[in-house]
Amino acid sequence: MTCVHDGQPTRRAFLQRAWNGFAMLPLAHLALRTGGGGALARHHAARARSVIFLYMDGGPSCQDLFDHKPRLVAENGKPFGMKMEPTQFNNNGNTLGPCATFRQRGESGQWISDLLPNLATGADRLCVVRSMTSDFSEHTNANYFLHTGHGLQGRPSVGAWIGYGLGCDADDLPAFVVLNGGLIPPGGIDCFHSGFLPAHSQGSVFQMRGDAVANIAPREAPERQRSMLDLARALDAGTQERFGADPAIDAAIQNHELAFRMQSAVPELVAIENEAPRLRALYGCDDEYEPTRTFARQCLLARRLVERGVRFVELTCPDTKHDRWDQHSKLAAGLRDNCRAVDRPVAALLADLDARGLLDETIVLFGGEFGRTPFAQGNSGRDHNPFGFTMWMAGGGFRAGTSHGATDEYGYKAVADPVSIHDLHATILWQLGIDHEKFTYRFGGRDLRLTDVYGKVQRPLLA
Amino acid sequence: MACPSPIPLALPALLTALLPALPTALPIALTTAFAVGAARAQLPPPVADAEFARRKLHWAWQPLQRAAPPAAAAGTNPIDAFVDARLAAAGLSRSPPAPAAAQLRRLWFDLVGLPPPLQAVARFTADPSDAAWQREVDALLASPHYAERQARHWLDLVRYAETLGHEYDFDVPNAWRYRDYVIRAFRDDVPYDQFVKEHIAGDLLREPRRDADGNDESVQATGAWWFVEQTHSPVDAMQHQADRIDNQVDVLGKAVLGLTVACARCHDHKFDAIRASDYYALVGFVQSSRYLQAPIHPVDVGGDAYAAAWRAQHELAHAWADGARGEAWPPFAVRTDAQWAADDECALRDGEQCIASASGPREQWFVTNDGFGAQPYRGAFCPDPDAKHPQLFVLPGAWWNSAAAGPEREGVLSTPTFAIAQRFVHVRCAGQGSRVQVVVDGLHLVREPIYGDLHKPVDDATAHWLTFDLGAWTGHGAFVQCIDQRAQDLADQEHERSLYPARAWLAVQSVLLSPHEAPPATPECIALPPPGWTDGTELPARVRDALATLRKATAALPVSPTVPALADGNGHDEHIYLRGDHRRPGALAPRRSLTALAGDAAFATGPGSGREALAEALLAPDNPLPARVFVNRVWHHLFGRGIVRSVDNLGALGDRPTHPELLDWLAADFVAHGWSRKHVIRLVVTSATYRQDSRRRDDAATVDAANLLLHRQNVRRLDAEAVRDSLLAISGRLDEKLFGPSIELPHDAHIDARGIPKQDGALDGDGRRSIYLAVRRNFMPPMLLAFDLPTPFATIGARNVSNVPAQALALANDPFVHAMCARWAQQLLAAPATSPRERLALAYRRAFARDPDDREVAQCSEFLAARSPGAEMGDGAWPDLLHTLVNTTEFLYLR
Repeated sequence: MTCVHDGQPTRRAFLQRAWNGFAMLPLAHLALRTGGGGALARHHAARARSVIFLYMDGGPSCQDLFDHKPRLVAENGKPFGMKMEPTQFNNNGNTLGPCATFRQRGESGQWISDLLPNLATGADRLCVVRSMTSDFSEHTNANYFLHTGHGLQGRPSVGAWIGYGLGCDADDLPAFVVLNGGLIPPGGIDCFHSGFLPAHSQGSVFQMRGDAVANIAPREAPERQRSMLDLARALDAGTQERFGADPAIDAAIQNHELAFRMQSAVPELVAIENEAPRLRALYGCDDEYEPTRTFARQCLLARRLVERGVRFVELTCPDTKHDRWDQHSKLAAGLRDNCRAVDRPVAALLADLDARGLLDETIVLFGGEFGRTPFAQGNSGRDHNPFGFTMWMAGGGFRAGTSHGATDEYGYKAVADPVSIHDLHATILWQLGIDHEKFTYRFGGRDLRLTDVYGKVQRPLLA
Repeated sequence: MACPSPIPLALPALLTALLPALPTALPIALTTAFAVGAARAQLPPPVADAEFARRKLHWAWQPLQRAAPPAAAAGTNPIDAFVDARLAAAGLSRSPPAPAAAQLRRLWFDLVGLPPPLQAVARFTADPSDAAWQREVDALLASPHYAERQARHWLDLVRYAETLGHEYDFDVPNAWRYRDYVIRAFRDDVPYDQFVKEHIAGDLLREPRRDADGNDESVQATGAWWFVEQTHSPVDAMQHQADRIDNQVDVLGKAVLGLTVACARCHDHKFDAIRASDYYALVGFVQSSRYLQAPIHPVDVGGDAYAAAWRAQHELAHAWADGARGEAWPPFAVRTDAQWAADDECALRDGEQCIASASGPREQWFVTNDGFGAQPYRGAFCPDPDAKHPQLFVLPGAWWNSAAAGPEREGVLSTPTFAIAQRFVHVRCAGQGSRVQVVVDGLHLVREPIYGDLHKPVDDATAHWLTFDLGAWTGHGAFVQCIDQRAQDLADQEHERSLYPARAWLAVQSVLLSPHEAPPATPECIALPPPGWTDGTELPARVRDALATLRKATAALPVSPTVPALADGNGHDEHIYLRGDHRRPGALAPRRSLTALAGDAAFATGPGSGREALAEALLAPDNPLPARVFVNRVWHHLFGRGIVRSVDNLGALGDRPTHPELLDWLAADFVAHGWSRKHVIRLVVTSATYRQDSRRRDDAATVDAANLLLHRQNVRRLDAEAVRDSLLAISGRLDEKLFGPSIELPHDAHIDARGIPKQDGALDGDGRRSIYLAVRRNFMPPMLLAFDLPTPFATIGARNVSNVPAQALALANDPFVHAMCARWAQQLLAAPATSPRERLALAYRRAFARDPDDREVAQCSEFLAARSPGAEMGDGAWPDLLHTLVNTTEFLYLR
């Protein structure tokens, strides 16, 4: 990607400047091929190159998926044994046991419930953090917090920070791509925004239906469009003579060329038909359940994106008609369908990345903005719970086959080795070669960080 | 048989003595703290006085120095004198004027945000003299499009939005009226100090500014406080309030003062002379104010027209009672004057406290709009004289009654803020199509799931009690709002609007804070129509006449539009929150201005918020910041970079001014010219500094590579609105209509998100300028976003100028761009032209304000010939050619 900040040229763009922008095009093109283009030199050797964030929007119920608590089974339906904090709906019922059986999986013996049978087979790849905490009980605030380290709208997303800092290794794709399964989380596309960072670092949302990228489809045949571009560039050359050359103008010209290349790169990227049928089947591309097919496509595209050098890929959930992972009622049915949608594709993604040697350099992160209460909301749901929940990482130098931290006997609050969202951000940045305390951007009179004034790299999670 | 006469308009308040003193300056300490999140980091101790004094030496705090401009030839624009002197010192000189086309295009985009039309190009090409330039400038400053363009800059500062964001992106009712207010203020060149004063205290001005129709302009400015993101059901309402006010103070500080005041929320400012007590002093003003949909032209409730409606009610009651006499209608038959008075009594039980009563002191109520009149009403009334079967009601005692002057009157009646010391609130009311809500911790967005029970409809015309259970908010601050006004709720949703009919009414007698779940026993209410008159029986003539008089009297009262606004609550000071944590209140921070500007003496505030005093203090002649900040913003928009580059932060971490003497001279000149914004802009755009060429110069490559000394103009990219508005203008699609409700664009069918608007608009937005497009926080127009339209969350004085593929993709492939180019081609082909060259000249003049040169003609002709072989004029290829022009950098950049 070319990086032009606030109209000021990057060093590279500046070096490329010549009196005639048009004549510079071939060189500009070559320069872009080198990739990178971030604002930051890595602070230390990177352990990972890319991130795939499997965003489980709505707050998955960890007590039914990962956090095995025998006491919940034993006290199902009885009054809850701890003080209850205020919740979003304040319609708190009795203790609610898990709606699936837990088993220890693989050699590592990690607890995963029967709701995720395919993922369970890859348990030895996972680094499970069982003691995540958030600062917010409401979706939107918690979404902003998870994505930007701040509970209100307007800050840059973690993907934007990373894309801004490290740039992109592909010359025809943006650094931060969001694969939209259909559900934009509460808080809207601001969860993927660049905030005060330069706008080129914002997440580019690729749709799974219709055109993947807005305006990506040319309305003319390539050669006709090329001839229009050639005329435009020829006229630009004349204008540069008339009014004088300027780096901002050169950068704009390069930008037209990048867009032109994206027009062919993106359709090529999304043509997953070219993948081996067996592999597509492994992901679930042929599944009879539509949300599984959608998420399979997203996972496969995620692999293809990191393969091409895209820095940060985020996947949002497909619509299973259960209002995301937000099971305020009908917990069992909602979990069943959501797990059905993601289980096979995620398991396949890990196996596929591993088989290609990409898992080592790719951080895969799975989780939601908070967890859910161990007591019922009404009688068949769980309310929001930011006090203790599970996320997991795989690859990218995270310690495989381990669990870290713990919640109390009910899976309500993190009690051992709590990990905050800031800690999570700090640790991911660390693996990418970035010291979160040194990675700042001046805005509104302050040197702002993704982690604000908080965050600690979680060494025990790292291999 | 006792006649109800006289039915007094109001009795003296009888129960004053029985009421406990009103709580003022409430200690609002949260007692139900719940721990969310990790322990906070340690933060630095307060800044010592010596250090604070040192910080006050920072340039921005110093008084304006109006140094005389450096010596220059007679008639030199003072700006040029300042700039030339700096350049000369560096061994440089100003660049020659830019080519006429570049100058004209620059001026039009900067002043009105549109490309110059053919006539302007012809005019200026024929006569590019200084006098002609002056005329062009004056014409543009007088154009309403000037106001649209400049208003958009201001909207960026107040993070203007028409929705609240968060989960459902609720509409803010009538937000667009604020946008129109700003446009009018620029059009009328309202002095900037007045404009700022209106933003801080427009609702409180003794002499509000009024338009030709008598509408209150001033109050409309205060809507800017409500373009803050809001959570619809925060688990911790107090945290939400603290965050909301943080944003509100941040916007005030940055937009007006160019200071990051909100950085002092958790501790004294790390770098500037701003104390945490300064921040919380400002918070107190916000805490003492409330959200209101304010009328811009309410009926004068003390005036004759209003009194006529009340008189007509009484005459109707008399007529009705007389007519009913023979039938022994109970209310009039048995009630004595003593009983009327006794109706006001409501014995308080153990632990019960009267928050407000209609028969109590007037200060117990905040009464807005014209629905409830100037005082409580007593006696019989007919809420809807236009109904098929008009009914007469009697409520015992004195009531605030929005039906008294007819069903279309609207209003909001609120209590003072009180601490929730008891679990229940009982409200005695009657009405139809109205509602009562309890606002806890300033949370006007009263919503399910948590707050749904704090909002209750009133749909019972007999007197009854509404009971609110506030057990979950013990110790928090709250007030009760009684609402007979369609637009009042902070959030607005279509399906809810229908719940509140125009012909609603509400009567309220008292509000009690009580430990008892059951409301007190009160006299039975009488609300019956006289028997026999609802079944179509002919009404007696006197009743018919009285009804007609009442209809006439109420119909004579116009209904005012409402706007989002601030309104005073009872004034109280805020505590300093230790480390910004609302669960840890420290010392009180009395309301006042910033220490560094005006010392730390508290304002002598009256019963209200005291915002008038704040406005006066911030605009005092010895505060250099508002004028400096404003002229610096003008400079930013006309040169692409402010004299102080960090336009929203003149503090220690901001940039230093490149031309400090010029900045101060401009600021002082601005004040001396009555804070006229047009004056400053005229002065700058008529300077030679503004009009110079933007070409890079070898002789300045080392001395002034970044052009800080302004040896040339800067090359600038069009902003988002100008890109879209240009396309509308050159294609002839631009609808120059001013003002009005916002326009929707089509919404992406592939985005499935909460709050997405149900109604799609036309691809071209009806040809309206971009400032009139709906600003939905969660659904901003993608093409404008690609060109850096900011998401409204904070003050943005300097937009990003990015360069992303989405921009090139939009210009290349967006259906709107294609449609505009096709339309442009149609227009061009329909115009008489004898040759492709002549036609091309028209296109170039429209897009670039100049004629094409020979080489360009040859290049374009070749393109046409290749695309449309055989066609003499290359007709079929014109849309492609014009589309190509749009994709050149000359279209996108100002030179």
